[in-house]
Amino acid sequence: MNSTLTVAGDEAINEQSPRLSLRAIRKSFGSVQALRGVDLDVFSGECLGIVGDNAAGKSTLTKIMSGTYLPDSGSLAIDGEPVQFSGPADARRRRIEMVYQDLSLCNHIDVVGNLFLGRELTRGPFLDRARMRNEARQMLDALDIRIPRLTVKVEQLSGGQRQAIAIARAASFKPDLLIMDEPTSALAVAEVEAVLSLINRVKASGVSVILITHRLQDLFRVCDRIAVMYEGTKVAERKIDQTNLQDLVGLIVGEAIPDTGMADS
Amino acid sequence: MNVYTERDSGSIVADFLSEHAQVLSIAFFFALCVVFFSYTTDTFLTSRNLLNVIRQAAPILVVAVAMTLVIITGGIDLSVGSMVALVNAVAAIALSSGVPWQLVIVGMLIFGGAIGLLQGWFVAYQGIPAFIVTLAGLSILRGIALYLTQGYSIPVGKIPGFLFIGRGTLFGMPFPAIVAIIIALIGYVVIATTRYGRQVIAVGSNAEAARRVGMPSRWTISSVYMVTGVASAIAGLLIAARLGSGSSNAAVGFELQVIAAVVLGGTSLMGGRGSMIGTLLGALTIAVIGNGLILMHISPFFTQIVTGTIILLAIWLNTRIFTARFRVPWARKPEHS
Ligand SMILES: Nc1ncnc2c1ncn2[C@@H]1O[C@H](COP(=O)(O)OP(=O)(O)O)[C@@H](O)[C@H]1O
Ligand SMILES: [Mg+2]
Repeated sequence: MNSTLTVAGDEAINEQSPRLSLRAIRKSFGSVQALRGVDLDVFSGECLGIVGDNAAGKSTLTKIMSGTYLPDSGSLAIDGEPVQFSGPADARRRRIEMVYQDLSLCNHIDVVGNLFLGRELTRGPFLDRARMRNEARQMLDALDIRIPRLTVKVEQLSGGQRQAIAIARAASFKPDLLIMDEPTSALAVAEVEAVLSLINRVKASGVSVILITHRLQDLFRVCDRIAVMYEGTKVAERKIDQTNLQDLVGLIVGEAIPDTGMADS
Repeated sequence: MNVYTERDSGSIVADFLSEHAQVLSIAFFFALCVVFFSYTTDTFLTSRNLLNVIRQAAPILVVAVAMTLVIITGGIDLSVGSMVALVNAVAAIALSSGVPWQLVIVGMLIFGGAIGLLQGWFVAYQGIPAFIVTLAGLSILRGIALYLTQGYSIPVGKIPGFLFIGRGTLFGMPFPAIVAIIIALIGYVVIATTRYGRQVIAVGSNAEAARRVGMPSRWTISSVYMVTGVASAIAGLLIAARLGSGSSNAAVGFELQVIAAVVLGGTSLMGGRGSMIGTLLGALTIAVIGNGLILMHISPFFTQIVTGTIILLAIWLNTRIFTARFRVPWARKPEHS
């Protein structure tokens, strides 16, 4: 089936030091307390799902991991070593990539140009189109993404293709941790399937993945562990084989649902 | 079981047509104007008149090329007409007081670039809308020009080297036209093939994305206003050399002609999308219409009405018909199998 390599036992995961760990992260926007003290660990090669109602703070939390926001307080550590990001470029140097909810693609630029956005290959001041086209093709082939013509503008592509390009671009930086914010929320059914299997391929290459999604059924296709957020706090963590849809729904809306038979034991 | 087939990827020709629909339509409109004036006037299609048209189109084209960059970033520069007038006046004052003309030219280009950069700084680093900054610039720069000249026209004097810039011909072409064509070519190369051009498009298409990938987005935005400043200085010098004088009343309504040329050429006011070939055709069309209406003995004031109407129609077409998803109807046939 779809679940991949790592369903390591409790002990195996807990003995590793986490690739990225967050402690007591707080972040406010004016009077809005977006995060009220969040602890979270991400381990090597795992896929961690983050769920929660709208405004629970999922995007804010991941933007702190990717250096887009600085936390008001709290600490981050990579492989046990404390870090402080000065910006997205800094996080990228430490091999953390994020695919934003809005994808950050330039609609008026072609597929090749978007894959190389901000790191164009050049000869003098001129773009080296041929070399970029070849390498773009390799980037996409590596993830088995099929886009017939790489010189079409991104605005002409479907939502799934655009998502795939954003993921391929992030993956091409060879991250250790790839964060994806609602990659499937705007997609049609077949496109969701394509993106989920793409996530599994990225994961299979040894990259840790964080997936934010509202489609709970997707979590069971790709994730090893799920963190539930509620009003700026992390309220629960579950191994994927120790939870089910109903349990998650209960945690997300903040009601203990009796009779699940699968609550924490 | 169903067999999944994929749609044809569509013919390259049809995709090309979709991509360039706007340039093709302005090319068609341009041809239509030429044919119309050729039939309605005796003089339009004479080589003398045509050379005259391109001589007059030159300043518009020079600034329109730069304006294309500004509009691709999603901005606008309303100050170009006033900038032309100011350079025009200052250059004439400097020349008539004996400053060497080569020095005047270099000085004016730097002057134009510096003022443009200042406006760009307000737009990019201070976050004031380009419309407001350059509207202020429109008023201030024209005001300075009026103040310096007290409203009089200042003769440049007999300086053959300088006057050649506006009146001379090289290889049978008016010199201003040669300058304009070279600048249009540079503009095309910059936007289509350089990293800087890519940055300009990226900033206009999705400024936040450009910032996230580490492009110098603020500098890019400021720089395009510097480019319009330099281009306006060139236009101001071309006009001063053609008329042999400098006046604070030069280039009134020039910004509208320039913006009309750019928009008519298919560059989107929303940013991200633009075409230098479109701008070239747009500028020629504006010049042909201006020239043709005069040859038809229609009041010159009428050209203003026509320019305004063209801007409105072009923007209307731009937003209503040539949207992002515009396709030639037969570009992608769904395949049933
Ligand atoms: N840039 C911002 N400025 C002001 N408020 C923000 C900003 N980003 C997020 N917020 C607020 O923080 C809270 C959490 O938002 P977010 O992290 O986007 O939630 P989620 O992604 O879980 O839906 C919300 O109340 C939201 O309005
Ligand atoms: Mg969100």
